[in-house]
Amino acid sequence: MQKTVRFVLDDRIVEVDFARFPELKPTTTVLNYLRSLPFHKGVKEGCAEGDCGACTVVVAEPGENGRLVYKVIDSCLVFLPMIHGKQLITVENIALTGKKDKILHPVQQVLVETNGTQCGYCTPGIVMSLFGLYKNHSSPSLEIIEDALTGNLCRCTGYRPIVEAAATACTGNGKDHFSEKEKEILSMLNSILSGKETMELKQGKQRYFKPFTLAEALRLRKQHPHALVISGSTDVALQQTKKREFLPEILDISGVEELKLFRETGTEYGFGAGLSIEQVKLLSESRIPVLHKILKIFGSLQIRNLATIGGNVGSASPIGDTLPVLFALGASVMVSSESGERMVKIEDFITGYRKTGLHKDELITEITVPKCQEKIKTGAYKVSKRKDLDISTVLGAFRLNLKDGVVTEIVIAYGGMAAMTKRAMKTEQFLTGKEWSREIVVLAMEILAGEFSPISDARAEAEFRKTVSANLLLKFYLETTHS
Amino acid sequence: MNLPHDSAIKHVTGESVYINDIPADERLLLGKVVYSPHAHARILRIDYEEALKVKGVHAILTARDIPGENQMGPVIHDEPCLAEEEVTFIGQAVALIAAENEDAAQQAASFVKVEYQPLEAILDLETAMEKNTRIEVERKIERGDADAVLSHAPHVIRGKLRTGAQEHWYLETQSALAVSGEGREMMIHASSQNPAETQAVVAEVLGIPKNEVEVEVRRMGGGFGGKETQGNHVAAWAALLANATKCPVKIHLFRDDDQVMTGKRHRFLSKYEIGFDDNGLILAYKVELNADAGAAADLSLAILSRAMLHAENAYYIPDILIRGNAWKTNHPSNTAFRGFGGPQGMAVIENAIDRIARFLKKDAAEIRLLNFYRNDHNNLAPYGQEVKNNHLHMMYDKLIGSSEYFKRREEIVRFNREHEFYKKGLALTPVKFGISFTTAFLNQAGALVNLYTDGTVLVNHGGTEMGQGLHTKILRIAAAELGVGTGQVRVNATNTSKVPNTSATAASSGSDLNGMAVKNAIDILKSRLAEVSVAEFKKKTKDDRSRKENILFHNNVVSDKENPDRTIAFPDLLKIAYLKQVSLSSTGFYKTPGISFDKEKGQGTPFYYYAFGMAVSEVVIDTLTGMHRLLRTDIVHDVGDSLNEGIDRGQVEGGFIQGVGWCTTEEMKWDSTGHQITHSPDTYKIPTVNDIPADFRVEILKDVPNPGTIRQSKAVGEPPFMLSFSVWLAIKDAISAVGNHETEPDFTLPATYEVILLSSEKLKKRIG
Repeated sequence: MQKTVRFVLDDRIVEVDFARFPELKPTTTVLNYLRSLPFHKGVKEGCAEGDCGACTVVVAEPGENGRLVYKVIDSCLVFLPMIHGKQLITVENIALTGKKDKILHPVQQVLVETNGTQCGYCTPGIVMSLFGLYKNHSSPSLEIIEDALTGNLCRCTGYRPIVEAAATACTGNGKDHFSEKEKEILSMLNSILSGKETMELKQGKQRYFKPFTLAEALRLRKQHPHALVISGSTDVALQQTKKREFLPEILDISGVEELKLFRETGTEYGFGAGLSIEQVKLLSESRIPVLHKILKIFGSLQIRNLATIGGNVGSASPIGDTLPVLFALGASVMVSSESGERMVKIEDFITGYRKTGLHKDELITEITVPKCQEKIKTGAYKVSKRKDLDISTVLGAFRLNLKDGVVTEIVIAYGGMAAMTKRAMKTEQFLTGKEWSREIVVLAMEILAGEFSPISDARAEAEFRKTVSANLLLKFYLETTHS
Repeated sequence: MNLPHDSAIKHVTGESVYINDIPADERLLLGKVVYSPHAHARILRIDYEEALKVKGVHAILTARDIPGENQMGPVIHDEPCLAEEEVTFIGQAVALIAAENEDAAQQAASFVKVEYQPLEAILDLETAMEKNTRIEVERKIERGDADAVLSHAPHVIRGKLRTGAQEHWYLETQSALAVSGEGREMMIHASSQNPAETQAVVAEVLGIPKNEVEVEVRRMGGGFGGKETQGNHVAAWAALLANATKCPVKIHLFRDDDQVMTGKRHRFLSKYEIGFDDNGLILAYKVELNADAGAAADLSLAILSRAMLHAENAYYIPDILIRGNAWKTNHPSNTAFRGFGGPQGMAVIENAIDRIARFLKKDAAEIRLLNFYRNDHNNLAPYGQEVKNNHLHMMYDKLIGSSEYFKRREEIVRFNREHEFYKKGLALTPVKFGISFTTAFLNQAGALVNLYTDGTVLVNHGGTEMGQGLHTKILRIAAAELGVGTGQVRVNATNTSKVPNTSATAASSGSDLNGMAVKNAIDILKSRLAEVSVAEFKKKTKDDRSRKENILFHNNVVSDKENPDRTIAFPDLLKIAYLKQVSLSSTGFYKTPGISFDKEKGQGTPFYYYAFGMAVSEVVIDTLTGMHRLLRTDIVHDVGDSLNEGIDRGQVEGGFIQGVGWCTTEEMKWDSTGHQITHSPDTYKIPTVNDIPADFRVEILKDVPNPGTIRQSKAVGEPPFMLSFSVWLAIKDAISAVGNHETEPDFTLPATYEVILLSSEKLKKRIG
C-alpha cells in the first residue's frame, strides 16, 4: 500500500506525506498546493471552476514511444494524488536562469515582443498553454492555436497578440531545455510508477483511494460504495472548490490503465471509460465524425485532457455534451463489478437528473458505439450562448435511415430540454414511414415543440429552447439534403 | 517607440507580484466577508458567539466595532462600510472575520447567524422610477427647441432602448493586504485605481488622520473601472480587521463573491424621439437616459453626466434635449466601467440612426456621414464646446476605402438573397469621446522624480498600473525628456506617501495627466542641472559662452547646443551636482487648463479634447440557432502621436473586444428576488479567443499630433470600447435581412443568441 503521493517538480521527486503536512489533504488542489510553496505563486486562481485557465499548468507523463507526453490542465480542478507519477511544470520552470537575467523560453520571449501581456494575471496560464502547444505542435494551424487558447480568458488584450505569439513561437519542433532532460525525468517517473500497489491516503476525516488495476478498483468500489468516483474530477472538484463541501471519501480511478483502451471490431468501437475526452476526440475524427464535431467544442483543451468519456456519461448531466450524440448513435455502456459485467443501452442507463442505473459496486468500464452503415445520416448541433468554452443550452443529435426518400428509422435526442437527455419519441414516430421532405419536417417541428417542457435559466428562456430545438431538426434536414 | 510593457518579462515568468502573492509573515490572517442574502431587509440580530469559538478565528467585527466613521461612499456618503440596521442589496457586507486559514474562516462564516426581516425590494428601473428613487435631481443639456422642431419634422421615430449591465471580470478579484504598524499606523497594499481615495476611506473608517495611512499599488490584475471606488471596500475591511487583531490581514475575494458583491456597468433604460428630413439629416433629438444606480450613489451621477455628454456621439444635432436620471435600486451600487456612461449614451443615437436608415431605405453609413460634426460649421456640441480637430470625415473616407465597404455591401446583399438561414450584416460606427474628468477639479496630477548619482532615474507618479501600460508610457516620457536610455529609468509602485492627493487612474487620463506632471518635475530638474553644466563648462573653458537655455539633454549626454564640443556625460553631471549640493529630486504637478462645466446649466467646456475612432464590422448569423460569428473588423483609431504604438494597439483591440462582449454574450441575469444567476464564468460569458474577428485590421492613425498634450499624444483607454457598436449593429443588419430590411427588428443590448433567434423568428413569421 502506498501512503504518499510522489511527482516530479523543479526537476526532482517531491513526496507528499499527508501525515507530515497537516495543512494539506488528499483533495488539496494542485493549484492550492503550488500556491502554498514560496516559489510557485505564478499560478493564479481566476475562477476555481476551470472556466478561465489562469491556473493552467502542464503535466508530463511517460507516453507510448518512450517519450514524455505534455498536457495542459486546469490545476484548480486536480487533486494532488492525480498527478502521482507525473512531472508538474509551472510558469516558473519555463525560463532558464542566466547569470544576470532570465533566459526566456521561445513562447515567453515572443509573448513579450507581441505585447501579449497587459495586466499579466492571466499570463502564467497563457504561457503554459503556449508551452503545451509548443511541445505538441510545430507551425500549428490557426485552428489548433485557437483551440489551444480557448481555455484561457484574457480580459485585456483582445487575444490577437497572443495568437500572433503562438504562431511565431511554435516553430521549434518542440525542442527546448525540457528535451534535454527528458530521459532523466522519464526515469524518475518510471521509478515512481513502478509501484502498482493501491494508494490509500488519510487526513483527518478524509480518505482517498487510488488503485492502479481494474481488479483493485472494483474491490474498493465494493468496499467503499459511498466513495465519490473520480477520474478527471472536472465535475466533482466543483463540489469542493465552489460549493465548499467536504468530500469524505474518494475513489480515484485515473491510474487504472485498463480503462484507457480503445478497441475496434467490424461492428463497433469500444472506448475505455478512462479515455480522456481529448483522446476520444482524436480517435473519433475519422471514425465517428459526428462525435468528433461535438467534442471539438467540448470545454477547453485543459478540460478535455482531464474529463473522461466515462465521467461525462456517468455524471448524467442534462446538458452533458456527449449524451445526446451517444443516444443518437445507439451506444451502450459496459459496467463491471467484482461479480461480472453487463452491457446497458445508454438510454436505459440514464435514469434521471444526474441519475444512472449504475449499481453501488459497479464502475463504468467502456462506452460501446456501434458502427453506422454508410447510408445512415447523422448530425449533431450544439447551441450555446458563447461559441466555445460554454455548456450547451440545447444540443440536438440525429440519426436517420432513408429508403427511397422515406424515413425507415430516425433517432432524435436532445440535451438541455428536460431533466435528462431525452429522445423526441413522438416526433420520431411521426416521421417514421413518411417522406423526408421540408413540408413533413415543418410539421414535425410543431410536434417537437409540444413534446418538451424546457425550463428558463441563466442560459436561456424556455421559449428559446423550444424554438431552437425545433430549428435543429430543420437544420438536420437541410444538412441531409443539401450536401 | 515599441517598448514592451515594463512588467512583460515578469508577467511571462510568473514573477509579477499581485496582492495575493505578497509574502507576509506567519501572523497573516485571512479576512472573510459575511454578506447579505437579501436585496432589502432589516437586520434584527447578529449572533456570532459560536463563530468566535472556531479554532483559528481571531476576530469578528460588525458595524458597532468600527472605530471611525461607518462610511465608504466616495462622493455622497451613503454607503456604510458594514450594514447597521438595514441591508439594501445582496452582497452587502454585514460582518468581517479574520482567521488563520480558509477553512476556519469558512466555518466561522457559516456560524454567523444574522436574523433578517425582509422588506420590499426595488429590482428594476421601471419600479425605481415609479417609486421615485431618483438620486438628486434630473439633469438636462439643452440647445434650441427640440419639441418644436419635432412637431414639424418631416419624419419622427420614437423608441426605447435597454442596454445591459456588464461585469468587469478583471482576472484578479478585489484584494487588499492591510498591515498595522506602530501605534495607529496602517499600511495597505491595495488593488485600487485610486490609492488616494483608498487612503481617505481607510483613515475615515479607522478614525485616524491620513498621514498615518500609507497605500501602495504595485499593479492590478485588471481594473477597467471596477477598482476606481470599489477597490476601497476590501481595503477598508482588511484595515478594520488588521487594526482589531494587530496582525496583517489579507482579503482576496472568491470569484463568485466578487461578482455578487460588486457593482457593474449601469443598466440604462432610454427613451428617444428623433426627427429628420428625407435625406436623413437629423433635425432634432430628444432623449431621456435612466441609469440603474444600484443601492448607493457611488459614481453614478458622474457616469450619468458622461452618458449625457455623449448622447449625440459624433453627430451635429441643431435642436436637442438630453435629460438624465439616476435611480436607486436594491442591487450592488453600480460603478465605473470603461467608457463611464459614454457607451450607454451613444448606443441610443447609434441605434436611432440605424432606424432612420432602415426607414429611408438608405445605407446607415451614409446617414452617419451626412450628420457628422464638421470642422468649419456645425461644430458645436450641445453643451457649447467646439469640436475641434475633428477627424471624422478623413477617417470615414479612409475606412470606407480600406474596408471596401460598398463592394462588400453588394456581396452581402447577394449572400443574403442566396441563403435562407444564414444572414450577413455590415455596419460602420464612429466614436467621438471627450477626454478629461467631467468633474473639473479632478484633472490634476503629481509626480516625484529622483535622480541618483549613478545616472539612474526613479519616477513616482499618482497613476496606477492595471495592465494598460501607463508605467511603460511614463517610463518612455521620462527617458525622452531626460535624454537617457529607458534602461536607466524605473517607475515605482504608486504610493500615497510619495505622491499625495492624486486622482483616480480613470477617464483615460492616466498618461495625459501623470505624463505632464512627470515632465514638470523633470523640467525643474533639468533647469537645475543646466545651471550646473553651465558652471561646469565655464570652469573648463574659462569663458561664459554657455547659456542655460542652450543646454540639451540627449543620448545620456548633456551638451551645449551652440558649442557642441562642450559635453558632460549625464551620470557625471549628476555626481557633480551632488557634490555641489544641488537637489536631485523634484516633485511635479499638472492641471488641465481651460476646462469647466456647469452641471446645473448643462453648459461649458468639459473636455480638453476629443478622441476619434471608427470601425466597420461584418457578421454572419445563423437564424436557426441565433449564434453568430464576427467575420471581419476594420478599425481606424486616433491616438494623436502615439506614445507607444504596441501598447496603444493593445488598448484599441482589447477595448474593442471588451465592448464586443458587452454587445453580444455578456448577459447579466437576476432572479425575482434579486439574486444574480450569472455569478460565475460558467454562465457569464466574456469573449474567448474564438470571439475575435476572423479578420482583424487595426490602423492607428498617423500624423495627427494633438496640440497641448504630453508629446502630442491622446488618451486611448476608453474610446475604443465603443467601436464595438459596429458589431452590435452589424448583427441588427443581419437580423433585419430576414425581413428584407422592411421591418424594424426587435433589438436590445446585448444582442444575445436569444435576441437574434427570437427577433429573426418574428420577422420570419411576418414575411410568412
